[in-house]
Amino acid sequence: MSPRVLLIVAACVAMAVSAPWIGGALDGESGEFILQSLRIPRVIMACLVGATLSLVGACYQTIFANPLAAPSTVGTTAGATLGALVAVLAGSALGGMPGGLPIVAVSAFLAALGVSLFVAALAGSGRARVNDVLLAGVAISLAAGAVSAGLQYSADELQLYAAIQWSLGHLPQVGYRGVLMIAPFVAITGVVLLSQTRALQSLAAGEERAHSQGVHVAHVRSLVLGVGALGVAACVAWCGPIAFVGLIVPHIVRLSVGTSRRILLPMSAVMGAAFLVACDTVARIVLPGRELPVGVLTAGIGAPLLVWLVARRR
Amino acid sequence: MAAELSFHGVGVEISGKRLLQDVSLRVAEGEFVALLGPNGAGKTTLIRAALGLLPASGEVLVNRMPARRLGGRERAGILAWLPQQALVTEALSVLDLVAGARFRFSESRRNAESAAHDALRQAGAEMFVDRIVSTLSGGEQQRVAVAALLAQEAPLLLLDEPANHLDPPHQVSLYRLFGELWRAGRGVLCISHDVNLLSHVGDAASVRVVGLAQGHVRFETPYTDPDLPGKLGEIFGIHFESVQTGNRRVLLPGAGV
Repeated sequence: MSPRVLLIVAACVAMAVSAPWIGGALDGESGEFILQSLRIPRVIMACLVGATLSLVGACYQTIFANPLAAPSTVGTTAGATLGALVAVLAGSALGGMPGGLPIVAVSAFLAALGVSLFVAALAGSGRARVNDVLLAGVAISLAAGAVSAGLQYSADELQLYAAIQWSLGHLPQVGYRGVLMIAPFVAITGVVLLSQTRALQSLAAGEERAHSQGVHVAHVRSLVLGVGALGVAACVAWCGPIAFVGLIVPHIVRLSVGTSRRILLPMSAVMGAAFLVACDTVARIVLPGRELPVGVLTAGIGAPLLVWLVARRR
Repeated sequence: MAAELSFHGVGVEISGKRLLQDVSLRVAEGEFVALLGPNGAGKTTLIRAALGLLPASGEVLVNRMPARRLGGRERAGILAWLPQQALVTEALSVLDLVAGARFRFSESRRNAESAAHDALRQAGAEMFVDRIVSTLSGGEQQRVAVAALLAQEAPLLLLDEPANHLDPPHQVSLYRLFGELWRAGRGVLCISHDVNLLSHVGDAASVRVVGLAQGHVRFETPYTDPDLPGKLGEIFGIHFESVQTGNRRVLLPGAGV
């Protein structure tokens, strides 16, 4: 591992470890409670979500050979939003599911997974070319967005407020329970995606070249899409659509450590985690007395950064 | 068993257009087959059909097994492909690209990089090892692509206009390299637009030339066939003049027939 990579990893770890102590004073028993039960699990949650979104984004950008591909591209985010809205409108009155699961999270998870797996199945059929899969994802996103808009139109004020709050993206105070809920999905996603590093390295040189080198392109693409969707759906279900992390962080990683998938993929996870922890920490402390939704901050940073990267490439 | 690729009555039709019809051809380890023909004759289509990149009727056999039944790694262990299109648009390093071509091997990163260094040396591209592929010239990229081809260590090489983008010295050295690989036992199926480059592979009498036009095999003959200029003239629609320089025959495309 190069000194530069080590330095970046050390900086990311330092960011994550110090984040819980940043902010208001943590005195006495209440301070201890805030630190142990609220901030530490929240930082862990940010690490898991940031790492997943960014790793999945890096993998999607490879399988679609498109630098603008991200978890939102294949309909995962739009599906989750639709699922959450349906739950808010139809089922939030129930308060929860058996076992105490929030119905909004469960509904968002199932809808995100359903939409993404449909796109993954299309990719795995071998009949659709990469651009067709990408277009299918965009079309499904637009369709889900249209249905969501229709649902919002028919919602009352309270439901609309809940829906908007969810759709802004936030890291909820879910404690260790929330962490334990998404950790298995994040772990499966990480292990499976990183196991595809060599196939993704070959795919980076072009789809047909990778095929001739022995990569089963349709299989790898559907596996990456399906497993990526599993992790992203779990994250989005709990935290709402946190924009730009899956799109922008892999680009920052490429600029920092190069394009070798052996480094790019794990470093996307590491830097994605640190990026979301940093954004969430700022979102937590920037407004006195209230929090900024972290999705607003990631979008606020991500959009101009993306424009700068595009301009730089030209 | 010597590795071999054979086509038996192969046809390819895309969007109602017949690109190949009833093509039969065989290339095995230790053989050099040059595939010549005008643009649109179906040369690249034939190679893509062999790799399973296009659906084909008839039979494409790899080591006497239907190609479609082979797994990806199994096929990559027999057939290696040098496509004619440019390498990559992404900022990949040369070492990553060439080491990535060894996907079929279950090996450590260190082994893959060591083999990639060897392949780059063999292709005369070792000086580019630390470069980003997209920063290389077209000719330099082609040498890196040849290194990726060699890194795959397959016994049969499918070359689609390998001298593309190369200046004359590199064209000659590349065909000499393919000649060495052929004499070392590899089988070569080489698409070329320049029949004269074949004289650089050595042992020209053993090179088989297959003429393809409008999706059909028009002839199959040794490179040294005295009638080769006439046969080429028929498929290209242009007169070829044969000129002897020392012990080498050069075919000059002349005025239209």
